[in-house]
Amino acid sequence: MDAYFYIILVVGLLSSIICVVAGLLKKAPNDTTILSVAAVELALLVYLGGSIVRVASGERIAGESWEFWGYLATALILPIGAVYWSILERTRWSNFVLAAVGVTALVMAARMNQIWY
Amino acid sequence: MEEAENVSANSPHDGTGNPAAPASRTPGPADAGSADTAPAETAAPGTGATETAPATTDTRNTGPGRLLIAVYAVFAISATARAGYQILTKFSEAPLAYMLSAFAAAVYVVATVSLAKPGRTAFKVSVAAVLVELVGVLVVGALSVFDSVNFPHETVWSLFGRGYGFIPLLLPILGLIWLYRRRPARRDH
Repeated sequence: MDAYFYIILVVGLLSSIICVVAGLLKKAPNDTTILSVAAVELALLVYLGGSIVRVASGERIAGESWEFWGYLATALILPIGAVYWSILERTRWSNFVLAAVGVTALVMAARMNQIWY
Repeated sequence: MEEAENVSANSPHDGTGNPAAPASRTPGPADAGSADTAPAETAAPGTGATETAPATTDTRNTGPGRLLIAVYAVFAISATARAGYQILTKFSEAPLAYMLSAFAAAVYVVATVSLAKPGRTAFKVSVAAVLVELVGVLVVGALSVFDSVNFPHETVWSLFGRGYGFIPLLLPILGLIWLYRRRPARRDH
């Protein structure tokens, strides 16, 4: 597990906790929860940028490279989709949808690390 | 993709549940259970409140239902991607397991779409899909425990979905509870 994973671990868990708490407090999606999901997206973009630099500088991905990029691309789409969805229906349940993003990104980052090394 | 489903399905409470459905259809969907024994049970949402009946039919894709759909969508995407990858790259290694993977992916896709769509038909389809999912995770889970040679832990449902935090086992149970609570009101005729 590398630094990218731990960044996503921390950001993803924080985001999920924030969103679950907001949902339990019966709040609709607000700036806090949406920005926390945006932070997950940002962490994934850092992972993307870092991975491009590493591949460009000659590092090899141990597993299937297209599987790695597939996971990363899917993970990047998830926060956008969840935020879009939470805007469509502004109830507290959308905060739980947002909460799923952080955990999912965390799992996908773990898998991406496995593929890379 | 799930967003697209919901744009069309997201104008709730406007009576898309087709209250004027032909009353001549075959009576009583099986899921309504003990239909003729319990007129009292349906008295509250019954004849007096005909407007609420279609509304309850169409609230499956709002509130907690959206969370359910979102989780199903994630599983549909990941199971499809995984099954596609397995079949394209190493199908000959374990054809049975990878066919099961593809089948599981198809079940998740059907469940996601039918949960997101309003209406009675979609309700029946989603009940069927979620039941198939429950049977699948139980059967494949049991087989992967007792016959691990033929089921080398390669599907979403292996070991009762342990590789996915047992969510595949939990999901159909929550799905059935949700569908039961939001089942369409019986037609009176």
